[in-house]
Amino acid sequence: MVRLYQFINSLVTSAGSTVCGEDSMYEVVVGHVTDSPFIYQIEPHGLWANIGNWIFKLNTLLGFQIPKEQAVKCLHGHPYSVIESDPVLFLGMADLRITKWVLMLWLALIICALIFIPLARKIKKAPMGSKSKWVNMWEALIGFVHDDIVDPNFEHGHAKKAMPYFLSVFFFIFIANYMGQIPGMATATGNLAVTGGLACFTLLGMIVIGVVMQGPLWIITGIVPHGIPIFLFPLLWAIELLGLLIKPFALTIRLFANMTAGHIVVIIFIYLVMLFQNHLVGIGSVALSLVIYLLELLVCFIQAYIFTTLSAMFIGASVHAH
Amino acid sequence: MDALKEGLLRVEPGLFLWTVITFLVLVLILWKAAWKPIVEALDARAERVRGDIESADKARQEAEKLLAQHKSLMDNAKSEAAKIVEDSRAEAEKMRNEIIEKASADAKDLSERTKKEITLAKDKALSDIKAEIVILSTEIAAKIINKNLNPNDQKALVEETLNKVGTVQ
Repeated sequence: MVRLYQFINSLVTSAGSTVCGEDSMYEVVVGHVTDSPFIYQIEPHGLWANIGNWIFKLNTLLGFQIPKEQAVKCLHGHPYSVIESDPVLFLGMADLRITKWVLMLWLALIICALIFIPLARKIKKAPMGSKSKWVNMWEALIGFVHDDIVDPNFEHGHAKKAMPYFLSVFFFIFIANYMGQIPGMATATGNLAVTGGLACFTLLGMIVIGVVMQGPLWIITGIVPHGIPIFLFPLLWAIELLGLLIKPFALTIRLFANMTAGHIVVIIFIYLVMLFQNHLVGIGSVALSLVIYLLELLVCFIQAYIFTTLSAMFIGASVHAH
Repeated sequence: MDALKEGLLRVEPGLFLWTVITFLVLVLILWKAAWKPIVEALDARAERVRGDIESADKARQEAEKLLAQHKSLMDNAKSEAAKIVEDSRAEAEKMRNEIIEKASADAKDLSERTKKEITLAKDKALSDIKAEIVILSTEIAAKIINKNLNPNDQKALVEETLNKVGTVQ
């Protein structure tokens, strides 16, 4: 994989004329869709540089990092005086520095809280249904989660108990996906660590629900379909056990790939304008990136739906033996 | 495995941890503060709507039953009324016939009786007249006789007079 990157890198790297040299296409693309720790800019330019400086101080204050000496670094083809940092690893492996992606996660959390806590009050206050379009829009989405995601996968009674969890999953991914479509923001769900974290809850849900609802023997008898010949049991058990891990893994990759791919295409189309510096290419690229952007808006909803539906299917399957 | 440390496919354990923490906080906050009341409120609304529809359906069935009942009642009443009218018409017809019959019978009776009475009255009047004539004729005869009549003539005269009276009758 790294070789592939290096190949693509060398293919699209353009020679620079400035002191720093220009960013290669690979650097531009990967720089936009991957997370990186904030660095301190001595003379910040723009909103994100200011926010970055503030978070850099916060990270240092919280002991997540140790600042290095001031140095000159090339950012987007220009030299800047910056201070970088070394992470203080939590448990020897986790770099807990607050990054743009962490901020995006928190922003999604805050937006969810700001939307749904007042919404709950409004829905409770209007037992016959609110007339507000805002309330009805979210109510329709909540109804969609109930009718199309949770209800078909859970027996009655269980559906009501499962609703809060799946509403959380759906709306967290939903908000995070759409936040990523706003220029200047980042797609939190376009990162393997984030989607992996969410998929781990699905895996945990499958195991916990299986053990609680069907007893500890679930891990042996619960995951293998009934009515198979006894000599096939060990083989199928091994496959199903592997499947138990593959299911959340697939969820991880699916959400990450879908949210990242569209962004990469949009960025590459925009990059083409810089590369060719030609009006015709400019018009074509912007038009096509707009088309991809609109497609992305659709994908944002679909992926939130798919992630939640599959989670509901997997967890719902652990409730009863099949 | 190197791909997991660099570039697009990098899995940063720190970000993973932050995701888990953020999502847990989201679930914990929203579970109590938003999802539970929302799901309960929406469930309650769905329940009420279902109840309303059920009761409306029940009411509709009840109304239909009532309507059918009323219809049959109306039909019964109509046919009853028709029967009553029919009956009274027949009764009236019968009564009329009876009255006419009785009246004509009465009239006949009356005319017969009247005739009889007339006959009786006539008979009585004739007999009265006869008696009166006898008396009168006797008086007349006596007057005549007292003047110039012999007994034989007198007798013949009386008989003749009597006969005449008899034929008049």
